[in-house]
Amino acid sequence: MTTTNRIVLVTGASPLHQELKHIAESNGYHVIDMDQLAEYKEQIELAIEVNSLDPEAKKATIQELDSTLAAHVPIVATSLSVTATEIASWATVPDRVCGFGTFVPLVERELIEVAPALQTNSYTLEQVKAFMQSIGKDTAVVDDEVGLVFPRILSLIINEAVFTLHEGTATCEDIDIAMKKGTNYPYGPLEWADRIGLDEVYAVIRGLHHDLAEERYRPAPLLRKLVLAGRVGQRSGQGFYTYEEQEVGQR
Amino acid sequence: MPTEQVGVIGAGTMGAGIALVCTRNECPVILLDANQAVLDKARSYIEAALEKDVQKGKISEQQKEESYQRVCFASDMQELASCTIVIEAVPERLELKKSIFSSLTEICASDALLLTNTSSISITEIAGGLLNPERILGFHFFNPAPVMPLIEVIRGKKSSQENVEKAYQFACDLGKVPVLVADTPGFIVNRIARPYYNEALRILGDRIAQPEQIDTIMKRAGGFKMGPFELQDLIGIDINFATTESVYSNFFHEGRFKPSRIQQRMVQAGNLGRKTGEGFYDYNK
Repeated sequence: MTTTNRIVLVTGASPLHQELKHIAESNGYHVIDMDQLAEYKEQIELAIEVNSLDPEAKKATIQELDSTLAAHVPIVATSLSVTATEIASWATVPDRVCGFGTFVPLVERELIEVAPALQTNSYTLEQVKAFMQSIGKDTAVVDDEVGLVFPRILSLIINEAVFTLHEGTATCEDIDIAMKKGTNYPYGPLEWADRIGLDEVYAVIRGLHHDLAEERYRPAPLLRKLVLAGRVGQRSGQGFYTYEEQEVGQR
Repeated sequence: MPTEQVGVIGAGTMGAGIALVCTRNECPVILLDANQAVLDKARSYIEAALEKDVQKGKISEQQKEESYQRVCFASDMQELASCTIVIEAVPERLELKKSIFSSLTEICASDALLLTNTSSISITEIAGGLLNPERILGFHFFNPAPVMPLIEVIRGKKSSQENVEKAYQFACDLGKVPVLVADTPGFIVNRIARPYYNEALRILGDRIAQPEQIDTIMKRAGGFKMGPFELQDLIGIDINFATTESVYSNFFHEGRFKPSRIQQRMVQAGNLGRKTGEGFYDYNK
């Protein structure tokens, strides 16, 4: 890839931020962040927003991007905890807003899901797909609902594993071994949660529970508490497992 | 090396597979079934599997012969009197299992370990009201038993610590990976895997994506070996639906275990997956 001087903006507090920045840069993009928005506003091709946990901050960021960037510039936002349609509703030019969603580490994702909002126009969708392709990811376009497909299904598996753990049915280790050896899951659900970030997983479940209002999406209380305690997994040194300092941010 | 005399009750796919696992790991085993045709089929299956081991160079002709000689076939439960460990692998019907364990408590020594390969019935319920319930435990193999490494060792309300440890060690002796589980609906795997199917079905029902697309996403975005719809077709949609119904009912209808109407319709239509040639995918082409 020798794309040069193509400028994209990446912003938002999610572990996806650093990885997206890195993967875009290694594919020839010049990546800027929010405090360079004014300086580069004429040149930005596409903006990506990846906050999952704080809807107020997400809304403020989307509105700032929307009011600063030219009307044709796509704003791509994670729709892990709110729908793309709701995100688009915050913008004055809603047709340039599109949702997407995945979990870290991006190196393990051959494919990234893209979810157009009801308002998204086809030009925006094509731009988003082209961007994902340009950073080496295939895309699957799915309908707009919180958590899309992979993050939603995996988050609910993890949520059930947390209920199982909290009830004392089995240990962390045995739960993870059982799911790997009994059904060939690539990781045990609890170690997987530690890799993704418990906050990201919790955001998906909470978003589903908020939007769909069904008991099936009730977050496991232990998951919520771990997130509130800042024990979000490998990134913070502690989640369901404890990590040595040199392991933090390594895996 | 294990010196236990093992009995396996039920010579269907699971029971025959378990007997094969035993003899491959040098455990003498009596495979019991009331139905001679089922026993004959199990005998050919075990013979063929051991022959394959020879062809693959895993064992010698003589080892094959020894392995085969370690398996006895029986149809009278009295022949299990000498067994120190019995594994029950009959169809998932509570009354059937209870009557088998009731007979075993009389036939076998009072300290014989009595294990059930159930995937959906409470161990506590099977052991309820029987003599020496402390020796009754769950010992859940995964299908196909000779291939899948996991065994869930399930502690019933009255199972003793000593017997839990004995069962755990026995699983290790069989070359398996055991995990310890309290007696709860679906144990670990069948419970935690529920959302893989249920939520995929929900996503389908809400028209967020189609089966093929969901399978592709779970494999290429998630790294799962098989997608939820392919897997339902492989397992059998009726089996999968029955497991979901069992977990749902045993959790007293907690909403997150609720079965899917789409899956129910597939069962009603007889589209059960690979075994009927049609499920979420068409296998007749």
